[in-house]
Amino acid sequence: MPSHVPAQAADPAVAPIRVPLLAWLLAVVALVVSYLLLQENGLVTTGAVAEYLHEFTHDGRHALGVPCH
Amino acid sequence: MGTVTLGGVLRRGALAGVAAGVAASLVAFFVVEPVIERALAVEEARAAGEPAAEELVGRATQVVGGMVAALAVAICLALVLAVVFAQVRHRLPGRTDFGRATLLAFLGFVSFALVPALKYPADPPAVGNPDTVGARTAQYLSLIAAAAAISWLAVLVRQVLVARGHSTPLAATAGVLTGVAGYAAIMLIWPAASGDIPADVPAQLIWDFRVASLAELAAMWATMGATLGLLLTPRPPKAAPRTAEATTAA
Repeated sequence: MPSHVPAQAADPAVAPIRVPLLAWLLAVVALVVSYLLLQENGLVTTGAVAEYLHEFTHDGRHALGVPCH
Repeated sequence: MGTVTLGGVLRRGALAGVAAGVAASLVAFFVVEPVIERALAVEEARAAGEPAAEELVGRATQVVGGMVAALAVAICLALVLAVVFAQVRHRLPGRTDFGRATLLAFLGFVSFALVPALKYPADPPAVGNPDTVGARTAQYLSLIAAAAAISWLAVLVRQVLVARGHSTPLAATAGVLTGVAGYAAIMLIWPAASGDIPADVPAQLIWDFRVASLAELAAMWATMGATLGLLLTPRPPKAAPRTAEATTAA
């Protein structure tokens, strides 16, 4: 395959995939869940449940390199 | 190569997330936990003489919790990886979806794990000042956002140069240089790490923990990229009728 052919012409199988807004919303939800599991230090949630979640995932957040107290 | 649908990418992404989570939690259990135990011994020595504080969650539960967190985070990140892959697949270099998926996961590792680990390295429990955690979190998250933007810019630079007819090696080199220079620039611009490490925590312990943490993150992203790539790779046709079908379809 000649190297000077533009990438898109070189591989016609690589057509753009349509990604609707709903898929991006899913990605945002996934990031928010990650944040709640790893970052949350009382900014969004408070109370006993938040404290429990924090302590339950404590080893995990340190291991994944997230700032913690 | 058949058509790749968004749903197909997302399903494979979810599976890749499970595999990545299992890999990360195994590293967490066998590599990270022994170092955390050493850090907790330092914390206990510090608290010796004081009345023992009642623990909300026991140690065994925290070990399990750490592994569950790694699994859950891996699944979440893999879903994000799958959505981004679907969006940018046609912009990524490589002749196969395996190449494109592993490259994207590598960029994810650099943006979400390596750059933050180099600038704000991981610390074990027993280290960390509660007063600075808000500032440290803001620095960490904004650095990740900036590193992801740099990765995107690097991919874009390569694609634009290829589209303008430059050679593939030249375009790839320009993309890599954009990434390296960009990561270096944001690491210089962002504020220095807090340096909250107490004097009673040995340097060797800090080093061991940082290497172990990076090993867990590397296991997570490598498994995620390889699994997504393998699941996107079409099986070679075996039976003769299928070969004929594939040839006419192409």
